[in-house]
This record gives sequence, structure tokens and C-alpha cells, in this order.
Amino acid sequence: MYKLFLIALVLFTSGCSEHLVRVMPYEKEYFAQDKMSLAPVGARSEQEGHIFLIREASAGGESSFQGGCGCR
Amino acid sequence: MKKIILLIMVMINLYAAPRVGDNAIEFSLTDLYHESKIVSSSQYNGKVTLLNLWASWCSGCQAEMPLFVDLQNRYKKNNFEIITSSIDSSPSAAVDFLNEVDMQHTLTALYDEDKSLPKAYKCPGMPTSFLIGKDGKIVKVYVGSLDHNDIKELEATIQELVGN
Repeated sequence: MYKLFLIALVLFTSGCSEHLVRVMPYEKEYFAQDKMSLAPVGARSEQEGHIFLIREASAGGESSFQGGCGCR
Repeated sequence: MKKIILLIMVMINLYAAPRVGDNAIEFSLTDLYHESKIVSSSQYNGKVTLLNLWASWCSGCQAEMPLFVDLQNRYKKNNFEIITSSIDSSPSAAVDFLNEVDMQHTLTALYDEDKSLPKAYKCPGMPTSFLIGKDGKIVKVYVGSLDHNDIKELEATIQELVGN
């Protein structure tokens, strides 16, 4: 019984931590603002944005869902 | 051990996002253009719909919106309707963008201030679109922006569902 309670507690708390840590794709409004861009140069920013999207893909990118290959 | 596995399975199901074949989530949201008008999902019972969750700050959402306007123009709204639900923090940003790409207000535009639909659907990306059949069940889920080829594929499915 104690073990069961412990497992349930771990699962519930890990579920909470997931919600606290991960910024969901629909919560990225402020990340999408121009001032949040790391590179002020347009072309460079676009390239870095592409790499960011590929890297972010597994957790949902800013604009499109990709598998991590960067081919789409 | 069996109890633990059962518990894990129940918890996974509780956290699972709606999938293809599941009932679409019911909603009641305000119209983006007319704040006082409430639009409910029950109004679309018996109709094929495409529910698009979007935001004006999302570049992929911006890219696919004109394609949705074209698609809606090819179908009468009593057969197939595209419902867009904006999650912008400011509805005016969404209205400004739609006024540029959908001047005739062809698309049904809703405003989801609390982001209730993306939360309920546990959207893994923006935009996300759900093709919903006449029976209210999810037929297809599209995560990410749709391009011309995706729209062609989508249209073929719509024609099957509409029965043309």
C-alpha cells in the first residue's frame, strides 16, 4: 500500500513539474515578438529561427511541427 | 504489480490528448468580430468542420490562413465550415490580421481568451487543425501549418465526408 502511494505521489508530482517547466506552444506569444529575437540581422535571425524550430520540434515549435530532421 | 500497471494506464489515459476517432471537445466561445455573440460547438452538429487553433503572432498560422479562405470559398457553409479560434492575448491583433487576409469574413472567427481549446486538446504545436466529421468525431489532426499539397489532401477527405 505504501509503495503504491509512493508511486502515485511520484507520478502526480512529476506531472505537475512538467506543467511548470515546459512552455507550451500556445504560450509562446511573447517569445514570438521581434524584441525576443537573438539576432538583430534579419537573414541571420531567419537561419537561427530555422535551427531553433528543428531543435524545438519534439516539444512543438513556434510555427510548424517537425520531426527534428529540418527537411520540412 | 498488476495494480500499479493498472494505475499507470489510468493515469496515462487521464493525461492523453484527444485523438482521431475521439469526440471533438465541446466549446462555447465569443465571436471575434462581435464580442456579444456566443458561438457554441453544438451549432455545428451534423456538419463537417475544420477547427483551426491559431494566433496572429504565429508565422505558420499566418501562412496557412489565406489557404483556408480559398478552401472555404470553394464550399458552401452548410456542407463544410472552417472555424478559426484565436488565442491572442489581444483580440484586436487577430482582427487586424484577419482583416488583411479575409476581408469578406469568409471564415468563422472565434476568440479563445483563456486558450481553453489548445489546453483541452493538449496541442503539441501551433497551429493545430482538427477535421471533425458530421458525427462530431475527430477525423484528422494536423499539427503545424498546411501547405498547398496538404490542402489538396484535406480537400479530398472533406469531399469524402461531405459526400460529394
